[in-house]
Amino acid sequence: MPNALITGTSRGLGRALAEKLLSEGWNVWGFSRNASLIKHARFTEQLLDITDESVVQHAVNLLSQNAVTLDLLVNNAGAASMNALLLTPAKTAEALMRLNYLGSFHTLQAVGKLMVRQRRGLIINITTVAVPLALVGEAAYVASKAAVDALTKVAAQELQPQGITVIGMGFGPVDTDLTKAVGKEKLALINQRIGRPDGTTLHEAVDFIFEKLNSKTLATGHLYYLGKIP
Amino acid sequence: MITRSQILVLILNRLKSLGVELHKPALVEATEQTRLFGDKADLDSMGLVTLIADLEYDLQQNLGRTVSLVDEKAMSRLTSPFRRVDFLTDYLVEVVNQKKP
Repeated sequence: MPNALITGTSRGLGRALAEKLLSEGWNVWGFSRNASLIKHARFTEQLLDITDESVVQHAVNLLSQNAVTLDLLVNNAGAASMNALLLTPAKTAEALMRLNYLGSFHTLQAVGKLMVRQRRGLIINITTVAVPLALVGEAAYVASKAAVDALTKVAAQELQPQGITVIGMGFGPVDTDLTKAVGKEKLALINQRIGRPDGTTLHEAVDFIFEKLNSKTLATGHLYYLGKIP
Repeated sequence: MITRSQILVLILNRLKSLGVELHKPALVEATEQTRLFGDKADLDSMGLVTLIADLEYDLQQNLGRTVSLVDEKAMSRLTSPFRRVDFLTDYLVEVVNQKKP
């Protein structure tokens, strides 16, 4: 049975993806700050803060020491903040960069070393259409996710020789806690821009990830979006 | 506790495996004087990354604790510990004796 590590499994896309992988026979490890409601014999959860490099490294080392191999890492944990650029507190920008970018960096680095030893693996960094759309009112969030996109492209090149594929997968507003604070009119506008007027359900987002998981023609370093990006 | 000679054995064993994998006989026959990275070296940057990842794992298995070989200037400074096997051996001795998280 294949093994996956997902960050941010306590809710939203991370939880839905974990449940889907479990239903398909995968073993799933979840790194999350808060306990998830997932109860499954093949689900192992570690409560930790992915912005702490040493904590992440230690948690991944524990997997290594227990001879766990990883076929898949999904860097999903993230947060968003909607605010006008000039009204965004510096602390907010720093917190988003720390969680969205550095959290992905630490996990990718620790798991990357494990996958280098395996000479194989797939890493999916969850991103957003907000980056290519340069969404107004989301400067701090967009910048942190743009950093994740850049990380994806460089990591893909550096890890390709060791048989590791790194891709980004981006979505429009998915029906999760992350988008609860966004007004309906703004959500509708974004969904129109990406050609998905009805929005994106969690189920559709998870199906899109599975479509790529089962693809034989993944292009490492590519950013795959659910929706049309102008 | 791990000695310098034990660390050297870990490095040479990993180089031997990498030499077989990469079809580079010089790595299979590596000695303390073997160049790892830079001019006339048998490892490219990706091969070096592989070696470092493997050695981190070996050291962790031997010591029972996390060892990080991340180094801000390791790939660029002139006296990089990754230039030659003996430099790397001394560097790892230094790391395992000083960095105790």
